[in-house]
Amino acid sequence: MSPSQQPTEKNPTNLKNQFARRFVRALNSLHNPKKSAHDNQMHRRSRRIKIAAYNAMASVVGSRRTWSRAVLWKIRNRSRTQGLFRNNRKRVDHQIVTNYHHRHHVKLSIKRRNPNPKREVYFDPSRYSGQEAKLRKLVPGAENMDSWCLVDEATDYINCLAAQVEVMKTLVDLYTAT
Amino acid sequence: MSSRRSGGTPRITDEQIIELISKLQQLLPELRNRRSNKASASKVLQETCNYVRSLHKEVDDLSDRLSQLLSTIDDNSPQASIIRSLID
Repeated sequence: MSPSQQPTEKNPTNLKNQFARRFVRALNSLHNPKKSAHDNQMHRRSRRIKIAAYNAMASVVGSRRTWSRAVLWKIRNRSRTQGLFRNNRKRVDHQIVTNYHHRHHVKLSIKRRNPNPKREVYFDPSRYSGQEAKLRKLVPGAENMDSWCLVDEATDYINCLAAQVEVMKTLVDLYTAT
Repeated sequence: MSSRRSGGTPRITDEQIIELISKLQQLLPELRNRRSNKASASKVLQETCNYVRSLHKEVDDLSDRLSQLLSTIDDNSPQASIIRSLID
């Protein structure tokens, strides 16, 4: 594993910093247009904050990972139908669409060059039942991966999720300090 | 560890899977303390699912708390200026 391939995994602090910057920026833009604080808005604001967090983390990882691509894709499609994040849409569009199609195309061609009959012809029951299936549902974008890629992807996903939770905890502590 | 490796070899060896699962095991808070690799693959997968679910739930809770805190924060307070300075 060369450092140039996965720099953020080698340096967890770097990952947290990059996430923190993007997330705080998003929080600021969510917070600035001050509307009257109704109680109903609390629920919607909480949901927007949650989406902003996942968006920020997936943006830091970018198109390197299937899960981050899936998260960004999902958010982008959701925002397109619901009209949220109008400002960020153009920026996310160009980068993500080109990277996604490039990576997707490359992954498909690799599969065709080296077919693995053991994995693809025979029905693997563990893929569709049991713990592995549950994990596929939890990790975004992992529905059709083979077992090896699933575990690899889950490892990275857990790393980034844990970093995200730590940064969010730090922010909550910062805001609750008197 | 690059996922491209699976495309190059014709077959995933058991060793690679074991190595990957033990790496995953190191990340899980429940199983990290066991020195041996005795945790079976299904146990590791099960713990992984539980851990991912708990992380999702934590993100939800933290988002709720953040939304409450953001609504009550005063723009001129020292916390707000700290947060703003983080962006620069």
